Amino acid sequence: MNLVDVLEQSGLTGRGGAAFSTATKVRAAHEHGAGLLVNACDGEIGAVKDAFVVEHHLPELVRGATLVAGTRVRYAAHRGSATEARLRAAGLDVLAAPARYVSSEETSLISLAQGGLARPMTKRQPFVRGGSDSAGRRITPTVVLNAETVWRIAQVVERPDGAQWFRGHGLPDEPGPRLVAIGGAVPRPGVVETAAGVPLAALLGAAGADPGRTGPVIVGGLGGTVLRPDEAARVTWSRAGLAPLGGAPGPGVVHVLDAQACPVDALAAWFDHAAGESAGQCGPCMFGLPAIASDWHDLADGVRAGGSGSVSSRGARARLARRAESVRGRGACRFPDGVAGLASSALRALSDHLDDHARGQCVPGRTPRSSHEHALAH
Amino acid sequence: MNELLWFVSRATGTASIVLLTAVLVLGALTAGRRSRAVSQTVVVGLHRSLALGTSAFLLAHIATAIVETYVSIDWISAVVPFTSGYEPLWVGLGTLAFDIVLAVVATSLPRHRLSRRVWRAVHLTAFALWPMALVHGYAMGTANEPLLRLVPVACALVGGAALVWRALAGHADQTRRRAVLTQEWS
Amino acid sequence: MSTRSRTDRPTLRVDRVACTGHGVCATLLPGSIRLDEWGYPVVLTAAEDGVDDGDEARAAAVRWCPALALYADRSS
Repeated sequence: MNLVDVLEQSGLTGRGGAAFSTATKVRAAHEHGAGLLVNACDGEIGAVKDAFVVEHHLPELVRGATLVAGTRVRYAAHRGSATEARLRAAGLDVLAAPARYVSSEETSLISLAQGGLARPMTKRQPFVRGGSDSAGRRITPTVVLNAETVWRIAQVVERPDGAQWFRGHGLPDEPGPRLVAIGGAVPRPGVVETAAGVPLAALLGAAGADPGRTGPVIVGGLGGTVLRPDEAARVTWSRAGLAPLGGAPGPGVVHVLDAQACPVDALAAWFDHAAGESAGQCGPCMFGLPAIASDWHDLADGVRAGGSGSVSSRGARARLARRAESVRGRGACRFPDGVAGLASSALRALSDHLDDHARGQCVPGRTPRSSHEHALAH
Repeated sequence: MNELLWFVSRATGTASIVLLTAVLVLGALTAGRRSRAVSQTVVVGLHRSLALGTSAFLLAHIATAIVETYVSIDWISAVVPFTSGYEPLWVGLGTLAFDIVLAVVATSLPRHRLSRRVWRAVHLTAFALWPMALVHGYAMGTANEPLLRLVPVACALVGGAALVWRALAGHADQTRRRAVLTQEWS
Repeated sequence: MSTRSRTDRPTLRVDRVACTGHGVCATLLPGSIRLDEWGYPVVLTAAEDGVDDGDEARAAAVRWCPALALYADRSS
């Protein structure tokens, strides 16, 4: 049975965040004679699972890559990272990318590999078919697969009844074992092997945290979703479980905010980081993300300076929500969409904290109150 | 008849210089700072249609210059620069400018089927053709017709001002792009 | 040529890297493109009250974009 059929049966999807069918990508790669870039950048905030795969499963990773593209394989890692050093020590062809967020995006890596800058390119068609960038530079067919995905390919192909073994983990529509990095304010940060359908509380517990008594939890990194501590304690880590809260398992990162620190200030740092990571190519991103960050700072500072706090705070929140909505889907890559999602979820999950800030207070570790209690507190 | 052709050639040549300068100014407006007062749609529309109009005046200018017989300019020297028997340098500059116009028009009409880099590279040569045309016009304008020399000088001032504005008046998009580009991206 | 239905029309898309916000598309396609607060186009879907501006206007907008950023996506 050929590679694409086995992958199809296994139901393996990309572990980099987009969760696209790996069988479809590999089939297209074969049809168009595409070269393979293995993305081991760990580009998302808090991501360490690509490093984990390279450190502990390098021979399988290399065999998986060879299965997909023979000798036409390069390994992308952040310049100066331990992952880069390990890949080089193994004698592999390494593409060293700048250690920044959007440079780890697949079209950025393709651009860099073909002599351009590590900045996203507009996909007028998938680059697995080849094409050109916005200036008209030719791009030869290239497929990008996340390091964990490539490792899983080797596992599925090399195990007896690999597809069945793979489907023995996770959920019917999100099968297979998965790596998740859990970090932030937890006693034992690290990488856990798990599968979709596990309670998020179990992942938090595996890192030594006490579910429900943590700070807010960010699932999916800079392009992820903020959850209230109580939500994080009861939600299921899967597409279906996180969808009602606007989230997804994404690239497999869970970040726990410090319960003793102000989450509004913490998020301000995240939005500042996002604004500084725009590649300065797409208008809605290069102006929208700084605007979102600045709106968030307004909320953190307590917009009301001259009284009538809650009204102007409400106005500022509406403007932030509107701006987040307006940048969605309007970049060459999905970075603005991701930050927009983070902003909308932060508005929702940190609503109580934002109320405090509008009153000029800041109460870290507060438990969410109902609107009735809000009225009494005044 | 010959005399009429001579006048027509001078007139269309001078008109070409004025139009060319207008096209240059409009081009600078397209690339420079956006203004709410000036619709970019009108600017781009004028830039393109005036450019095509200029080409018509240029063809008339060249055809009449060849046909009239006061000076010896043949069909070859209308296309191959510096081959004219009459004022080879000054006529040649005009010829070279015309060749560049041909290249710019030939790449702009089908620009959707060309790569943006190719189109842009050819389009930027227009910055060279414009001064060539001015010098050609100034040098060929005989001293006893002050108007013929005045027009290139006035055009040089107007066009030069537009280019200076274009270089200095960056707009938000351009400024932000350039600032981010200086970061580490490779 | 109004024989083609709205649905089999190629979708208008903006190459966001190429777009520098001239705003020509919004002038030529007032029903389906508006500019955001920074001057960049938002292509409105029917659900967002986008109104069809017609084939000719669409083709003109693609032709007149100074940045070659507006294009008809035939793959969708």
